[in-house]
Amino acid sequence: MRQQLIQALVALLLIAAILLGVEFGVREGYLKAYEFPPASRIAQGFVELTTVGFPTGVTIWTHTFVTVMRILKGYVAAIVIAVPLGLLIGAVPVLDKMTAPLIVFFRSVATLSLLPLAIVWFGAGELTKVILIGYGCFWVMLSNVIAGVKYVDPALIRAARSFRVSGWTLYREVVLPAALPRMFAGARVALGVGFMVIVGAEMIGTIQGLGALIMEARSFYRSEITVIGMLVIGVLGFLISSGLAAFERLLLPWGGGSSEASR
Amino acid sequence: MSRTGPERASSAAGAAPMIDIRHVRKQFDVRGGGEALVLDDINLSIAANQFLSIVGRSGCGKTTLLNIIAGLDAASGGEVLIAGRRVVGPGQGQGMVFQQHALFPWLTALENVVFGARSLPLAKAEKIDRARELLQLVGLEASAGKYPREMSGGMQQRIAIARALALDPDILLMDEPFGALDELTRIEMQQELLRIWEARRKTVVFITHSIGEALTLSDRVILLAPHPGRVARDIAIDLPRPRSRTDRRFNEFYEQIWSGLSS
Repeated sequence: MRQQLIQALVALLLIAAILLGVEFGVREGYLKAYEFPPASRIAQGFVELTTVGFPTGVTIWTHTFVTVMRILKGYVAAIVIAVPLGLLIGAVPVLDKMTAPLIVFFRSVATLSLLPLAIVWFGAGELTKVILIGYGCFWVMLSNVIAGVKYVDPALIRAARSFRVSGWTLYREVVLPAALPRMFAGARVALGVGFMVIVGAEMIGTIQGLGALIMEARSFYRSEITVIGMLVIGVLGFLISSGLAAFERLLLPWGGGSSEASR
Repeated sequence: MSRTGPERASSAAGAAPMIDIRHVRKQFDVRGGGEALVLDDINLSIAANQFLSIVGRSGCGKTTLLNIIAGLDAASGGEVLIAGRRVVGPGQGQGMVFQQHALFPWLTALENVVFGARSLPLAKAEKIDRARELLQLVGLEASAGKYPREMSGGMQQRIAIARALALDPDILLMDEPFGALDELTRIEMQQELLRIWEARRKTVVFITHSIGEALTLSDRVILLAPHPGRVARDIAIDLPRPRSRTDRRFNEFYEQIWSGLSS
């Protein structure tokens, strides 16, 4: 307890030292403000973002809301399709063998490299952004659901069979619950992917959203605004991930709350 | 089906054994061609209510033999009869206790035992009543609501025994059930098992690495020799219970089994 306190204190001091160092360096002219935005500038930028907005009229709240909605749409769509599909593929070995190379292939294609094609197919509007996020989340979720179903501890299946439980009952009452922790892990990783894709997906065809904010700020050498965009994305990711972890503990009270829940 | 034994005891005969293992052999296909003979011509008659242990080195096929009796694996040749009926699958009077980690982690102790009665044509309430009774038998009625991860290894194996008894089997098949427990818990569990066996007379087939454990528990000890698995010795243990490990005859039996294993 005491040691944790000291560790936290050291970490805080370190951060404070870095912030003060940057502040001092810029003031004395050793560092350029647009390369290393000092904390005071970032604070000013945040006030500007909450009142006037950047670009003018678009506040940080709008950016955040738009981004969260895009991620949620793509993410939820990906989960809703990936879960039943993965449950099916994982249960049917033939399907699994047939789809495995495809899944590895599509999963390996960096989502943002699809951006040009996606714009040709779906235009530069909302749909393209949601589809890109969905694409990124989908393959991660799908492979985790399949793995969850496939790699159920064989001892559990033998135990169930010894009680004459087989077929659909075995799948529903043993395979499915045994696969849930892995599926939740997949859902968390997929969410992370969604946040990684969003900045790129918002680079084009919009001035709203945290990704657009970051790009727009770059064009005006407003690096303090870029930093704010990064910070907000980080905080959002942390909050949503913690929410998912809490949801998992609620739904799977037997799991003991995996230790990497907040990652 | 070729019937290899010329003498086929009619099930009407009063002295029919509870378990009759006739000319059972098992071979596995080896990757890259060829076959490995795991069990070769096993013949054993096990009387009702007998406590029989199978001792042998790793890889002598003891678990395979147990799985064949359980109906979880098919023999390559020969047959197993339970009370005169040929074994074609699980649930013909066999209850199974596995080595460890075979409780369903998402079910509470009570729910795990209820799961054991899953295939019985009983109302849910009756299954719960039966499960509570079994928890009482193994002395864990107070832990009914706990999840497996909240219980010690010894408690988990008691729940596993209660679960195996849920179908009210004639036979209890136990695959090194106490192998992962520490020495003290192990001795406690041996006493506990004997108590349960006295309370609910069952035919027990118990697999173990431990000569001392086999001698403490059994009416009869079978030594299985490896490559291929075959019965090397069949020793009746006519010592009164409770047995003392310092008893002279206990140690004579110990020497006898040890020499059989190391020859």
